[in-house]
Amino acid sequence: MNDRDELYRRLFRTSLLIRLVEERVIELYPSDRIQSPVHLSIGQEAVAVGVCDALRADDLVFATYRSHAFYVAKGGRLDAMFAELYGRMGGVSKGKAGSMHLSAPEVGLMGSSAVVASTIPHAVGAAHSFKRRSDSRIAIAVFGDGATEEGVYHECLNFAALMKVPVLFICEDNGLAVHSHRPVRQSYTLQKHAATFGIASRRLDEGWDMLAVREATMAAAAKVRAGEPFVLEIATSRYKEHVGTGEDFHFGYRTSDDTDAWKRRDPLIIDQQLVESLRPELECEIAEAVAFAERSPSPGRAELLTDII
Amino acid sequence: MLSYANALLETMDGGLAAHPNAFIMGQGVDDFKGIFGSVTDLAKKYGSQRVFDVPLMEEGMTGIAIGAALVGDYPITTHIRADFSFLAMNQILNLASKYHYMFGGIMSCPMLIRLVVGRSWGQGAQHSQSPQATFAHYPGLTVIMPATSQAIVDMYPQIINRHRGPVISIEHRLLYNLDFSVSDSGKRVPLTSYVAREGRDVTVVATSVMVVEALRAAQYVQEKAGIEAEIIDLNSISHPDWDLVAESVRKTGRLVIADTSWLEYGVAAEVCRQLVLRDPGLLRSPPSMLGMAPAPCPTAKSLEDIYYPSQHETVDAILTQVRGVGHDIALPTEKSMTEGYRRFRGPF
Repeated sequence: MNDRDELYRRLFRTSLLIRLVEERVIELYPSDRIQSPVHLSIGQEAVAVGVCDALRADDLVFATYRSHAFYVAKGGRLDAMFAELYGRMGGVSKGKAGSMHLSAPEVGLMGSSAVVASTIPHAVGAAHSFKRRSDSRIAIAVFGDGATEEGVYHECLNFAALMKVPVLFICEDNGLAVHSHRPVRQSYTLQKHAATFGIASRRLDEGWDMLAVREATMAAAAKVRAGEPFVLEIATSRYKEHVGTGEDFHFGYRTSDDTDAWKRRDPLIIDQQLVESLRPELECEIAEAVAFAERSPSPGRAELLTDII
Repeated sequence: MLSYANALLETMDGGLAAHPNAFIMGQGVDDFKGIFGSVTDLAKKYGSQRVFDVPLMEEGMTGIAIGAALVGDYPITTHIRADFSFLAMNQILNLASKYHYMFGGIMSCPMLIRLVVGRSWGQGAQHSQSPQATFAHYPGLTVIMPATSQAIVDMYPQIINRHRGPVISIEHRLLYNLDFSVSDSGKRVPLTSYVAREGRDVTVVATSVMVVEALRAAQYVQEKAGIEAEIIDLNSISHPDWDLVAESVRKTGRLVIADTSWLEYGVAAEVCRQLVLRDPGLLRSPPSMLGMAPAPCPTAKSLEDIYYPSQHETVDAILTQVRGVGHDIALPTEKSMTEGYRRFRGPF
C-alpha cells in the first residue's frame, strides 16, 4: 500500500466511524436512552475528517451543535461521547452537555454551541492569544452557511483581518438553515464578502472528497499559520433532517435529488468493499463505547449545583 | 485618599503587572481619555499587545475574550456605558455564564467585564441603565457593584488573580471623581457585602452610588434627629452576605432599600425575598424602597431630577421608617444633585 492509499484508508476509516456512530445513534434513539436533540452529520463526515486530519494535533477547533463528526474527527473518546449522549457521569461533561455541546479539550475540541455562530469569536480570541504569545498554533472556527448571516461573523472577519489573526474560518455549506434554502437568506457570496475584508478564501465544491478537503485545509492552514486569516467554504450535504434521526423529504421543502446526487459520489456508499473490511472492528469499538455508557451511572443530586461558578 | 478612578487605574495596572496573560480590550482603552482615567497610559506602559482598542463589536469582542480565556489568558473588557453590553448579551448569557457548568467543569472563562453606568447631564434612556438585576439573574455570573475605592482595591486584584469565572463589574460614572479613604487590603477579602456604617435604628441596604447617598442621609438624620442608620453596601450583587443583611434587619426591624436601578424584579425585590424566606417577621413595618422611576430615563433636566431618588427622598425614607409617616423633622433643602455630583459636568 502506498502513502496515498494509506492516507485514504485512514481518512475513510474515521469517516466511516462517524457514520456508524451516528447510525448507532439512530438505532438507539427510539429506546429513549438518548434524551437530547441530536443533529446528525451523516453526509457531512468528509468535511470534519479532512479538516481535522490537515491540522496539527494541538491546533484548536471550535464547533457547532452538529458536533458529533468534529468530535470524533478531532480524536475525542468514543465511550465518553456515548456516555455524554446518554446523560451519564462517564460522559465528557458528566451528562450536562449532551449531543449539542460535545467537547474534548484534551485533543483540541474547545466546545460546541447550540446558538448559531456563537463560537466563531472564540476561535478568533484563541488565535489572537496564540499570536500574542508567539505560539505557532492556529484556531479553527467551524460553522454552517447560516452562521455567516449573523452579525458576529462579520465582526469577527473584520477583527481577524485588522489584527492579522491566525484563524481559519471553515464554512460547512449544506445549503440549509433548518429548512430555509441559502438563496432566500443571503444577498452575498461568501468569497466576495471575505474579499471586502481583504481575507483570502477558497470554495471547495467537492466536499464529499476527504482527500480534497484535507488538501484544501492544509493549504489554508499554512497561510493561516503564516499570519493571515483564511475563509474556506466547503460544500456538503446533510442527508438527515435538521434535528432528529429521520429523513425529511416528505415535508416538501426539499427533494431527495440533491442528496441523491451527493450520495452517488459519497465514498462511504460507493466503496462498499472498504466499508465491509473496516466495519467489524469499528462496530466492535462502538459496541464497547455504548456498553460503557450503559454501565455509567446517572449524575446524582450532588451534581445539580456543582461547577456553576 | 484615593479616587475611584485612580483605584481602578491602580488595580488595572496591578492586574497587568501581576498576571502576564492579562490584557485589556475595549473601545477607546488606549485613547487620551483612558476610560475616564481608569486605564490611562497603560497601553504605553504594557504595549498594544496587552492594552488595545477594538472595532465596534460588543458581541464579537466578548466572544474573543471567551476564546482567550479558554486558552489561559485573562481578558478585561470595557463598555463605556453599561447599555452597550446589551449587544454582548448572547456571549455573556448564553456562553460565558454557562461554559463551566455546561461542560461539566472542564471549561472555564475567567474574565472581567467592566460596565460604566451613566447618570445626570442628560444621559437619557440609553446611557443610564444599571443592569445588575439582569446579570445577577443568570447562574454562572458573578456580579459586583463597587461603591468605593476600597471595594475596588479589595476585589479587583482578587478577581484578576484568583477568580475562575466571568465577573461583571458595574461601576458608576458619578463615583469616578469621588475620593475615598482606603485602608490596606493586603489581606484576602471575599467578594461579599460591607457594613458601610453601623447603626441600631434602621437598616439601609444600598448599591453603588446609593451607598454614598445613604451615608450622607445617615449623617443628616444623626445630626437632626439622633437616628443611627446602619448602611449595608451590598457590593456583591450575585453573592451578597444575606446573613449580614438579615442580622442587621433583625436588630433594627426597619428597612430601606436604595438601588441604582428599577425596583421591579430587581435588587429590592431580591432583598425582600431573601428576608421573607429567612423570617417573615423580621420587619416591624413595610420597607421603604428607592430606585429609578419605572420609566426609561428622560433627558430633560426637570424630569431627570425627579427620576432618581434625591437626597431629600433618601432622608425622608429613613425618617419615615423610624419616626413614622407624620415625622416633623425638616428635610434637607437639597433636592437632587449632591455637592459631590455638582462637580460633574457633561458630556462625559
